Amino acid sequence: MKLLFDGKRKERCRRFAVLLLALVTLGGLYTAFAPGSTAQDESAADDAASIQAGKVLFEQGCISCHGRGAEGVTDRGPSLVGVGAASVEFQVSTGRMPLPRQEAQAERKPSSYSPDEIAALAAYIESLGGEGPTIPDGDLRGDVVLGGELFRLNCASCHGFSGGGGALSDGKFAPSLADATDRQLYAAMQTGPENMPKFGDNQITPEEKKAIIAYAQSMKADKDPGGAGIGRTGPVPEGLVVFLIGIGGLLVATLWIAGKS
Amino acid sequence: MSQGSASNRGSGDPDSTGINLDDPAVTEFDLVAEGARRDGVEIVRYRPRFDTDSPKSAAEKRIERTIALCFVLTGVAAFAFVGIFGFWEWKYQFGAGADKWFTPLLGTAMGVALLGIGFGLILWHKKLMPEEVAIQDRHDGASSDEDRVLTGATITHLAAETGIKRRPLLKGAVAFGLAPVGLMAVAPLGALIKDPGNELYTTGFTGGVRLVRLDGSPVRPDDLAAGGIETVFPGIPGGTTNEHADSPTLLIHLREADAVKVRISPKYADFHYENYYAYSKICTHAGCPASLYEQQTQRLLCPCHQSQFDVLRGCKPIFGPATRALPQLPISVDSQGFFIATSDYKEPIGPAFWERPS
Repeated sequence: MKLLFDGKRKERCRRFAVLLLALVTLGGLYTAFAPGSTAQDESAADDAASIQAGKVLFEQGCISCHGRGAEGVTDRGPSLVGVGAASVEFQVSTGRMPLPRQEAQAERKPSSYSPDEIAALAAYIESLGGEGPTIPDGDLRGDVVLGGELFRLNCASCHGFSGGGGALSDGKFAPSLADATDRQLYAAMQTGPENMPKFGDNQITPEEKKAIIAYAQSMKADKDPGGAGIGRTGPVPEGLVVFLIGIGGLLVATLWIAGKS
Repeated sequence: MSQGSASNRGSGDPDSTGINLDDPAVTEFDLVAEGARRDGVEIVRYRPRFDTDSPKSAAEKRIERTIALCFVLTGVAAFAFVGIFGFWEWKYQFGAGADKWFTPLLGTAMGVALLGIGFGLILWHKKLMPEEVAIQDRHDGASSDEDRVLTGATITHLAAETGIKRRPLLKGAVAFGLAPVGLMAVAPLGALIKDPGNELYTTGFTGGVRLVRLDGSPVRPDDLAAGGIETVFPGIPGGTTNEHADSPTLLIHLREADAVKVRISPKYADFHYENYYAYSKICTHAGCPASLYEQQTQRLLCPCHQSQFDVLRGCKPIFGPATRALPQLPISVDSQGFFIATSDYKEPIGPAFWERPS
């Protein structure tokens, strides 16, 4: 009798547990997929969570140079208060930050952070105050022709006519635009990373920035006549290749003909 | 020439007394060899590659076909060139398209055509024409003293023959007639020399002229973010064109933190407007646009010869071949809030020139 009772109670408990599990799963699925009726509150909560997550990431990866509260450390890293989300996205998504060591220039490398983590870092930096520039959402490609004119006037002096980059002083350089995404190009113009001048919206309007991006990206997509771009820096490497290979080939041919006769 | 045979070799011997040109038995090759012999050239070996009297051998036919193929290839490639050039309505298209093949195909067709001619001729010469070795004696070093005395006399005698010493009228006439001919050759060079007048000392900027962008729009202080630069031109007709190629100016908006570090000669104390500084974009070394601005290290770089200018020290040269500072343009803001130049540059812009006061 006692045994029987125990068995029934166990059975009831098991059923209850299964039901509970099913309900929790269903509820979890619902909250995960159904649009929240209180989206405002949730996004505010998300922001808070995002800022908190960004703070944690900042304190792990950035604090040693940029200091507590991102106020900067003398001779190590500048204050990040007010630099804006665009700057964070540019520096972190291009892998320039975190910096492996202090040197002439931070170089592009694979990013150590996921897009979500970058967004969290950006949210944290934004939360510290200051109206920093942000990158607009949506399509960042504009009028290619206008972009070409603006590129040649404003960008080509350092980045080269075909965006291949070029040398600056003391080991610094203007990087090649080959790997830059639309958002990174936009952010770079807006924030002026490292030694690049800042091109604010009053000087180069958002539409003009999009035009420049369209031009810079279209150059990359174009095909090189003859097959090889050879650095795409124009007539100097092309002439060198023609000279070395062309004249070299002619020399070999001459030697061959002379040897045969 | 093709009538020659190995048996004719002996007739080219320079030691023989020559051949009788009227002898009907003399062949064309005999005449060629005689001509060479009289010029001191000895044909020591002459052998046709194929016996031209018997029917063509298989090897000879094969070589003929190969040479013919070379010339046919040339013709086909040349027609292809003309066809591609004439009938392909080439137009640049963006991206990877057939248009990218236009120039390479023209080059390939022309290359094949020229190579075909070359290989055809080389093969013809090396495989079909007779083998020939000819020797001509040349003396070593200078001519003998005797030869030089004889040649010298010939030349001086020519001068004596004209009798120029006896005929002063002709001497004068020739001098008068020929000297201006030399002048005629030199005179056009004179036209290349032009007095630039005051142009080297002035630019398109004068007091009150606005600083405008390439599209002609004037610039307000708010337009430039701190740490930003803008290339500006004089706001006058043609100011953004090559007519005023000496005028492009770099307007720099320093960050506050950098602006407090500026140390400039008192001479230029009122040339800037707030944290805005305007410097000539023309490098003082060779006139390239020195517009590579490093906004952290505050240097302006010239891409041509790596001159560097310190923006916080009045753009004094700190590296490279440039020896003079970039001239500073005195600027202010007019009643409507747009940048203006308060006068022209105080020094000539750009590279040195002969009369430049240093």
